[in-house]
Amino acid sequence: MEQWRRNLSRRDALKLLSAAGGLAIGGWSQAGAILAQQLRVSQEIEPFSGPGPNPHWNSVGPYVSEPQKAPLILLTDRPVQLETPRSYFQSTFTPNDAFYVRWHLPEIPNRVDLAEWRLKIEGNVNKPQTLSLSDLMEKFKPASVAAVSQCSGNSRSRFQPRVPGGQWGNGAMGNALWTGVWLRELLDAAGVKQGSVQVQFQGLETGPGPTGSGSNVFLKSLELSDLALDGAVVAYLMNGEPLPMLNGFPVRLVVPGYFATYWMKCLTWIRVLSTPDESFWMKTGYRVPDTPRGNTTPEEMKAGGVKTVPISRMPVRSFLISPDGSSKIPAGMHVTLRGMAFSGYGKIVKVEISEDAAKTWRAAQLGEDHGAYSFRTWEAPWTPKVPGSYTVAVRATDEKGKVQPDEPVWNPGGYLWNKLEKQEILVGTASGGESR
Amino acid sequence: MRKSFSALFPTAGLVLIAAGTAGFAQFQSGSYGSTNTNSLKQTVPPQLSQDGNFSVAPFPSLAPELAEGEGEVQTQSFCAACHSTRYITMQPPLPAAAWDAEVNKMIKTFGAPIPDATAKRIISYLQQHYTPENRKQ
Repeated sequence: MEQWRRNLSRRDALKLLSAAGGLAIGGWSQAGAILAQQLRVSQEIEPFSGPGPNPHWNSVGPYVSEPQKAPLILLTDRPVQLETPRSYFQSTFTPNDAFYVRWHLPEIPNRVDLAEWRLKIEGNVNKPQTLSLSDLMEKFKPASVAAVSQCSGNSRSRFQPRVPGGQWGNGAMGNALWTGVWLRELLDAAGVKQGSVQVQFQGLETGPGPTGSGSNVFLKSLELSDLALDGAVVAYLMNGEPLPMLNGFPVRLVVPGYFATYWMKCLTWIRVLSTPDESFWMKTGYRVPDTPRGNTTPEEMKAGGVKTVPISRMPVRSFLISPDGSSKIPAGMHVTLRGMAFSGYGKIVKVEISEDAAKTWRAAQLGEDHGAYSFRTWEAPWTPKVPGSYTVAVRATDEKGKVQPDEPVWNPGGYLWNKLEKQEILVGTASGGESR
Repeated sequence: MRKSFSALFPTAGLVLIAAGTAGFAQFQSGSYGSTNTNSLKQTVPPQLSQDGNFSVAPFPSLAPELAEGEGEVQTQSFCAACHSTRYITMQPPLPAAAWDAEVNKMIKTFGAPIPDATAKRIISYLQQHYTPENRKQ
């Protein structure tokens, strides 16, 4: 039916064109050309990308409807990995139901019984703690922080050559106002013993792998001396609501500035260690080359000897969210370029935009400051006067003076991508005037 | 006068056609796609209890279609024992050596209980269908 309809309209167009063909009056041939344009039928995105970089802003999977979630982009269904579509980043705070999801192991909770569930603080402590959710809500002063959660492998599908792993587009990130208990208060309540070196976090996610292997439990640890712990919160509220199960109900760890690998979901064990964590997820997984930007090459990796360190803070990034290039803009129209920026190294101090593929730059206006580790929105007015294709680029600078470069990153884990973003935007004629 | 009118008549007819053409050219409307594309079913809100149990419905299973071929059955049964085979289809086309390394990582690092001969067949299957040279779906 659809094919018939399309064929018919094409035949009709051709018939009318030939009828008009005898007329050599100015403007009519142009009318014929527009008439001959087919409405493009929506085409499904290929279910994978490569071996070149994924050309789309988001990952290429289908939309899926998961419990407590808006339709999100599916990476994998078991365990669940979901990406947030671009348009949700128009707001400073990412809605809970649109917040991306990333689990490592297949056995993730569908049910938590709060009558039984307790957060345990144990290990090298004087007074081990066993706290119910109501203990956390009532016995400790609530603390709130706006912070970006970003998967270490966000934008992995940009890597060249491609690396295996979750093939995220740019949507493995989100910003929320997290409310809970300062981690330091909980550690103080338990009394960390002298000689302790790290604190380990474990949630309710498990896998069928052998005991002691990375496929059995997911564990992450941080140095007790790490300043990031001072800002860390055990959060029971996300944007003022309980956490969705897929985002870590009943509580998750929030480590502002750090990649989300440390933000343990369904946090149930906080373990103070007297020796460094030697488990897979610290010793082998989530490590980056100890080089500027975490860069290396496949050749260096093959040669061996690339020193690695556990991934930590997020390098500065910024994004153009609207317009997203999916529609044309009429020439001469005043539009507003909008997006957001963030950095794990502190406050965003500058966002610049370029309309000529990163050759010349001008400053964008920054939005409200919600804290050093939150999304910071930005906007810039734009009036493209001449029809044509424009490559809009955006780059941010953080308070440490770090600015996004135009060069890619490569490491075997597919981590730390922060090349400045570019978006092609088409501007169409609003009057039949000249083209660019 | 009369003569000149009839001489003009054919042109007037063409102008009418042209006017219609111009009308179409300004816009086009009423195009709808085929049925049932891009739809996602809604679900009924869950029944909740007043106790301490906080639960959500089972997470949906969305197993992809694997490429047909020798080794598909082994790949399906051994890989899907622990994770969705979307972990395969999500990947970009990967070089043969990368598939070898992935399967070996599952066995040696993650402890997947896959017999040697089966592992070889799985690697060979992935290399037959999921490399830059041969990936189709």
